[in-house]
Amino acid sequence: MSKETMSRRDALKMGALGTVGMAMLSASNAMAAAPTEKDVKFDEEYDVIVIGTGFAGLAAAAKSAERGYKVLILEKMGRVGGNSVINGGGMAVPNSTWQKKYGIEDSGELFIADCLKAGLGINHVELLETIVKRSQDALDFSIKCGAKWQDVKPAWFGGHSVPRSLVTDNMSGSGVIKPMHEFVEKLPGCKIMTRVKMDDFVMSADGSSVVGVTARINYRFDPKLLSDDIENKSGEKKVYKAKKGVVLASGGFSMDKVYRKIQDPRLVEDMDATNHDGATAGALLKAFQIGALPVHIDWIQQGPWASPDERGFGVAPLLTQQGLFKFGLAVDIKNGKRFMNEMADRKTRADAEYVILRKDPKSYPVAIGTYNTFEEQIYPIIEKGLSGGVMKKFDTLDALAANYKIPADALKATVKKYNEDVKNGVEDEFKKQTLKGESLKELKGGDPIDMKGPFYGIRLVPKPHHTMGGLHINTKAQVISGNTNKPIPGLYAAGEVTGGTHGASRLGTVAVTDCLTFGMIAGENI
Amino acid sequence: MRSKKTLLAVGFFLLLSVMSLIGSEANTPPTAEVKITPELKEKFPMKPHHEKLAFKCTDCHEGQGDDPENFKAIDDKGCLSCHKTKQFLADRLKFMDALHTNPHNSIHDGPKLYCDECHFEHKKSDNMCLSCHSNDVKLWMKATP
Repeated sequence: MSKETMSRRDALKMGALGTVGMAMLSASNAMAAAPTEKDVKFDEEYDVIVIGTGFAGLAAAAKSAERGYKVLILEKMGRVGGNSVINGGGMAVPNSTWQKKYGIEDSGELFIADCLKAGLGINHVELLETIVKRSQDALDFSIKCGAKWQDVKPAWFGGHSVPRSLVTDNMSGSGVIKPMHEFVEKLPGCKIMTRVKMDDFVMSADGSSVVGVTARINYRFDPKLLSDDIENKSGEKKVYKAKKGVVLASGGFSMDKVYRKIQDPRLVEDMDATNHDGATAGALLKAFQIGALPVHIDWIQQGPWASPDERGFGVAPLLTQQGLFKFGLAVDIKNGKRFMNEMADRKTRADAEYVILRKDPKSYPVAIGTYNTFEEQIYPIIEKGLSGGVMKKFDTLDALAANYKIPADALKATVKKYNEDVKNGVEDEFKKQTLKGESLKELKGGDPIDMKGPFYGIRLVPKPHHTMGGLHINTKAQVISGNTNKPIPGLYAAGEVTGGTHGASRLGTVAVTDCLTFGMIAGENI
Repeated sequence: MRSKKTLLAVGFFLLLSVMSLIGSEANTPPTAEVKITPELKEKFPMKPHHEKLAFKCTDCHEGQGDDPENFKAIDDKGCLSCHKTKQFLADRLKFMDALHTNPHNSIHDGPKLYCDECHFEHKKSDNMCLSCHSNDVKLWMKATP
C-alpha cells in the first residue's frame, strides 16, 4: 500500500468517524424528547401547573384553585399578563346580560355566522358553540374575581352584526388581569412565579401522559436574541410535579422572529408587531414534540392599520380605523394611486400593503384624510397622534405630497376622482361600502376629502397581531394527540396557544372571550 | 429587682451577640474591600446619584465576595433596602396619576414591576413604557434614571 492510499484511507476513516460522531451529537440535540418521571427528581409538587399569566392562564388558575387545588403558575416574563395587560380590554359576549339590559337583540347563530365569515369558514364550529354557551359564565367569573366592566351599551366592533363587546373600566385588559392576579394570589396554595421559563413537559413512565414540567427559575428573557427560546441559557433548573395536569396558556407567537417567518415569509426578522416581546413559539413547539396536533398555524392575523412611525400597537390603529380609513383614502407613494378598499377585512388590506412593500420595503403607503374623516370619539387622540409624530398635518395636498414624496399631480387626480365618484353616486373602483348609502349620511361637509384642508397623513405597515393557529383542543380544553386522536392525559390548553376557534381571521374583541372562556373550562375540567 | 433583671437580660443579650459575632467571623472570612480603579469604573459605571453617595461595591453586592466579575445583579430587595417600598415610590409620583402616566403605578401593572424591568445601575436604563408608547413617553417623563 502506498503512503498516499494509507493517508487517504486514514483520512476517510477519520472523516467517517467524525460524521458519525456529529450525527450522533446532532441527533441527541434534535431528538431531545421530553423527559419521563423516571429521568427527573421533582423539586416541588402541585395539583395543577399553569403556564402563562394572561387571561387564559389566570382564568384556569383561578377556577382550579377555587376548586381547592394547589396551583403553581409560571410566567417567563418579569411582568404578569403578557399581551393581556397591553390589550384594549374589549370582550364580545353574544346574548349577554348587557345586551338584554340595553335592548340589543343577538343570537348564538348570528355570532357564529359573523365569526365564520371573517374566518373564511374554516373555524372549528364546536369551539364557537362552546363560546356561545359559556362566555356569559366567563364574564361573570371575571366579575367574581374583581374585574369591572363599563356599564354602557355594548360597543359595535368591525365584522360583528350587532353591538356585543364590553370594555373594561380602564379600557385595558389589565382591568381583568390585575384583579384576577390578586384573586389568585389570595387563594390558599396558589403561587405565581415570574421570570420562570417552562422548558419541557415531564411525561409519565410510559410516555403517554403529562405529569409535570421542567423549568428555569431566575430566567431573564432577552429581546435582543434572534430566538430567545433556543439561545437563552439563563436561570437554574427546577422540576415541578403536576398531579392533576398542566394547562398551557402561553399565548401566540407574533414576536417569534424565526417561527413566524417560517409560517409567513413576509414577516421578516426585524419587523415590529403589536405584541409584547415574549410572544414566542417555544412552549407551543414543546407541545408538538409530545404529539399535540397543530391546526391553522400559518394564519397569522396582521393589523393593516398600524404605522412604522411608532412601536407596537400605538395610536395609529385608532386614528386610521376610526378616522382616515372610513371616508379618507390610502395611496401608493410611488404613483399617488389608491390600491385597496380601506374598509376591507384585515387580511385583504394587509395583503394589498405587502404587494407595495415587497417591491420596496421602505415605501410605506400613506393614509390621507381631512377633519371630516374622524369620528367624534377619536378627537382626543388626534392631538396625541400629532404630538407623537405618527400623524402629520399639512395645509395643502402639495405639502403632504412633498413630505411623503408622492407625485403631487397624480395624488390630486386620485383625490378629485374619489370625491367626484361620491358626488355622482358612482361606485368607486374598490367597492368601498362607506362611500354609498346610509353611512354617507355621517359624512360632514360636502366631499369625503374636504379640499379646504388641513390634510392628515399616516404611514402604514402591517403588524403581526394574533396567531390564529395553535394546538388542537376539544370543547373541554383538552389537547388532542396526533398519535391517538384522543386527549393527551394531563394536558389542557386555552387562549392564543390553541387554534381553530377563529379560523383564518379573528374578529376584534373575540380573543378575550376565547381566552377567559376556555381558561375557565380548563380550570373546571382538570 | 426589675433593674437587676433588665441588667441580666442585657448582659445575656450582649454575651449572645458577641458569641454570634465570633461565630460569624469563623464562618465567613471578612471580605476584602474592592479597590475601585479607573478601569473598574469604566467597566461598571454608576449612576451619578449613586456615585455622589460614594457607594462601595459591597454596599449593594453584599456577601457576594470581592471579585466584581463574579457579582450578581441585586434583586428588588436590594434596591428597596434604601428605596423603601414600591408603593412608596408610586406615591412619590402620585401627581402623574392624573394623566395616567405614573410609571410606578401604571394602568397596566400598578406598583408591581421589577425595578430592573427599567432601571439598570451599570448600563443605560431602559424605559419599558417605550415598548408600546414610543412617541408618548418623551412627553410624559424624563429619561429613566
